[in-house]
Amino acid sequence: MTIPAFDLLKPGSVAEASEMLLEHGDEARPIAGGTTLVILMKQRALRFSHLVDLQSIPGLERITDNDDGLSIGALATHRSVERSPLVQRRAPALAQAFSHVGNVRIRETASVGGNLAHADYRLDPPPALLVHGAEVVLAGAEGTRVVALKDFYRGMYETVLEPGEILVEVRVPHAAPAARTVYSRFSSLSANDWPCIGVAALLSLDNGNVGELALGLSGVAEAPLLAAGLERFQGESCSEELWDAVCDVVDEQLSPVSDLRGSADYKREMTRVWVRRTLRELAS
Amino acid sequence: MADYSIVGRPVDRRDAVQKVTGRVLHVGNMEPAGLLHVAVLRSPHPHARIVRIDKSRAEAAPGVAAVLTGADIAAMPGITPYHGPAFADQPVLAIDRVRHEGEQVVAVAAESRRAAEEALELVEVEYEPLPVVLDVLDAIKPDAPIVHDEIRPSGAFADLAHVKAGERSNICYHYKLRKGDVDKAFAEADRIFEDVFTAPPAQHVPMEAHVSLAYVDEGGRINIHTASQSPSFVRGELARMLGVPMNRIRVRVPYLGGGYGAKLYNKLEPIVALLAMKTGRPVKYSLSREEEFQTVTKHGVVVKLKTAVKGSAMTARKCEVYWDTGAFAEIGPRIVHKSGYTSSGPYKIPNVSIDSYCVYTNKPPAGPFRGFGVPQVIWAYDSQMDIVARGLGADPVEFRLEHALEEGDLFVTGTPIHACGLKEAVRRAADAVGWDQPKAPASGSKRRGKGIACGVKAVLTPSISGAIVILNADGSANVLSSTVEMGQGSESLLAQIAAEELGMPFDRVHVVQPDTDVTPYDTISAGSRSTYHMGNAVRMAAAKVKEELFQAVAGKLEIDAADLESRDGRVFVRGAEERGMTVTEAFLAKFGSLGTTMVGEGLCQPVVTPMDPETGMSEKCTEYWFASASAVEVEVDTETGRLEVLQFHAAGDAGTAINPKYCEQQLVGAATMHLGLTLFEQMVFQDGQLLNGSLLDYQIASIKDVPAACHPIVVEVPHKDGPFGAKGIGETGALTVAAAVANALEDAVGVRVRDIPLTAERIHEALKAARKVNGGT
Repeated sequence: MTIPAFDLLKPGSVAEASEMLLEHGDEARPIAGGTTLVILMKQRALRFSHLVDLQSIPGLERITDNDDGLSIGALATHRSVERSPLVQRRAPALAQAFSHVGNVRIRETASVGGNLAHADYRLDPPPALLVHGAEVVLAGAEGTRVVALKDFYRGMYETVLEPGEILVEVRVPHAAPAARTVYSRFSSLSANDWPCIGVAALLSLDNGNVGELALGLSGVAEAPLLAAGLERFQGESCSEELWDAVCDVVDEQLSPVSDLRGSADYKREMTRVWVRRTLRELAS
Repeated sequence: MADYSIVGRPVDRRDAVQKVTGRVLHVGNMEPAGLLHVAVLRSPHPHARIVRIDKSRAEAAPGVAAVLTGADIAAMPGITPYHGPAFADQPVLAIDRVRHEGEQVVAVAAESRRAAEEALELVEVEYEPLPVVLDVLDAIKPDAPIVHDEIRPSGAFADLAHVKAGERSNICYHYKLRKGDVDKAFAEADRIFEDVFTAPPAQHVPMEAHVSLAYVDEGGRINIHTASQSPSFVRGELARMLGVPMNRIRVRVPYLGGGYGAKLYNKLEPIVALLAMKTGRPVKYSLSREEEFQTVTKHGVVVKLKTAVKGSAMTARKCEVYWDTGAFAEIGPRIVHKSGYTSSGPYKIPNVSIDSYCVYTNKPPAGPFRGFGVPQVIWAYDSQMDIVARGLGADPVEFRLEHALEEGDLFVTGTPIHACGLKEAVRRAADAVGWDQPKAPASGSKRRGKGIACGVKAVLTPSISGAIVILNADGSANVLSSTVEMGQGSESLLAQIAAEELGMPFDRVHVVQPDTDVTPYDTISAGSRSTYHMGNAVRMAAAKVKEELFQAVAGKLEIDAADLESRDGRVFVRGAEERGMTVTEAFLAKFGSLGTTMVGEGLCQPVVTPMDPETGMSEKCTEYWFASASAVEVEVDTETGRLEVLQFHAAGDAGTAINPKYCEQQLVGAATMHLGLTLFEQMVFQDGQLLNGSLLDYQIASIKDVPAACHPIVVEVPHKDGPFGAKGIGETGALTVAAAVANALEDAVGVRVRDIPLTAERIHEALKAARKVNGGT
């Protein structure tokens, strides 16, 4: 399969890229790693006369540690996040989640921003970012705005990105020192396959009782999901009964899609299994 | 073992360095000047009438050299537009009707692949959808839509000449075996076991996709470079289709990046040949991965088994096997026949009835797939062997050993068993997995279990392999063979055989790649047949050369040639090594010159006694047997249903291992491939549309899916007629994987799953159903 002819535009800045996107409208798309976009264009499922190459903008691939959190440039590759000592120290679950995506060749190319903006419902990194309370920085002609990742998704393959807007940075606030995080991926078919579901959890304990609790999920709704309403468990003591209660609250928020990796019912049941396992692991 | 110099040694592959350094010439790398590229418009419908095709805009598109439809081909004088190894039921490009999603409809040759693909978008095809039949059991119902109204016979293989298609039916072939009195045995049985097993269509996924290149040379001959496992077939079939003598077609095959059965018979060759003839330019067609899924698949099956037991003996078995051959028969009828007659297993069962049906549906065509249908029937019968053993309270290993056929016993067809190391394979696999050791204790939600399965495959018989060995005056030798090196190691293995027979060093033997102008006829490189058939042909050819060489030496030394032997390129008197000469000296002695060669030809052509059409009986239905056993230990997560294979032991009888390393690699490779098919691979269709036709959604076993402990066990029971006692082993490791894993699953958690793949969700469902039955929640 070949890719239909297109013009590759090389902006020198985000503002220029944004202008290019606005100028060409639906005929243009930004390209970062291209691991998904190129396949879709080769399949002729998507067609763009212009691609705006974000790799030509300097500095978008940096990963830095600021006082309040990590800043991950949208053009950072999956591999660079997975291997970053900063990320491994500050947000181990995040490094873990990125290490699961595709294979090493994909991870060397695929960008963090592309992963998020593609808004696939069953990717590994979003749940881990969600439990950290990550925000995305969106830059457009009108300036930049910061959106919580949980509010970034609008549905299957849909985000709040406006025409001309580009995801340029992901901000990952540092978790409290007492908080522990983990990402569990469940593959129902080949080990290398997309996950059936993914569960990330953040839990801090206060004298054996629940302090901060967050659960991020993928594969169980039209978009990655940060479970709501978990504050009510603060102060409760960790127990199997408590985890069951958490699972009940989570379950109400699921709207799984049946796909090749599992039926909606199966995904619902697996979410229960993996939420419980993940919390058990963090509480132990 | 006999005192061999090179046979039995694990020499490195000839192609290893080239391959790992990326310097192998594949068809895909060939770019002759003026090359045109092909893209093909495919049917979006699983079944439809073609009302109208308008290709005029495509013909006028930039860079387009030719646009071809099925009707165009049918109108070309002297050209036969249909082909197929069993029936000529497949048009090169669809004529009047499309019968599966992805069927080829319009081909464009253009200056670039992109120009060709863009021209396709300008082709207008109007379809009128027709009723679709997808399920193999629906397809045999009397009111089912009929996939083919008429089926043309094929002249491709003499041994398939008896194959007649059913009239106005989707059953295009029926194999029947009747032995003893099955009804009486069932009436008198103590217990009857009845099970239905299924396996879905799946994909071969060779690393290299199909690719063919054709051009017409200055002499008007058609030259084909193709990734094919059957160059001799391609030449013969193209000659028939194009109405030209065989020597007007030259087919060459370089190294293949895997075949697994996907690259047999005609695939892309007719399209590139016709487009090369039409344009007068070189033409290349290479499939995308997505197109691979629409080209050839593994047969899905439904296997119904019913077994009667009296006391502790199996007294009767009734097998009904329904093979989903898709929209075109491909080699389906031969698979249905060859695998059909083994579908009751290699066991002592006095009364047997087998019905094996080849059924058309509106799916992509199914063809050969590593194991040639046998993995599907063993999946069924050796799952049921475990069910029966457990039902009788017998140990599954002991139960198999008690019932397994041995040397001299008659197979169900009436053919005696020879050199079939089945029991040894079972014993060694069972020992390796620690069958007698207690089961590992449960840990949390994880349960462990062990499973075993065994079975046999009969080699494709009759078939033919020819070889020529040329000894040069400097003691180097060329082997001319049409066996395709597709990763199995045949090139080095044939060199080992030739070197051993000639008494020449291994590195002085060169094996010429298949070229139908030069290398003799060979039926196919498939079915684990090359080591035996081509190995014998090469050995015979080498023996003839050696005879000539020895005569030359004997004449010079004035002794009897029978007293000579050769080693490391020197011929000498047995017991008196100092009396002898080099090959060069022998050439000088005989010819007085070095400007000549000694040439020998060998032919291996095992024959069969045709089966009785009513009873399926034959005194000799096959040349030899492959015995396979798999033993596994699995761990099942009872909360998720996910099954992990912890240990895998693949045992197979190689006869004599000409190269033990290649045998081990074949066993492990085949087992790994079928582990993917057992655990998660399947082509999923909805309303005739394939839902997972790319590697994004259809995954094969990766390195992460291979068990940490994956061990080959090479059993060696030499065959009296094999080259140095060798048989083949390319498929053996594949045969028994699925049943072994399902049997281990039951051992671990007490549930029986009768459908592969054994996905986590399927196992989870079975566990839930079992809990319900047991009164739990």
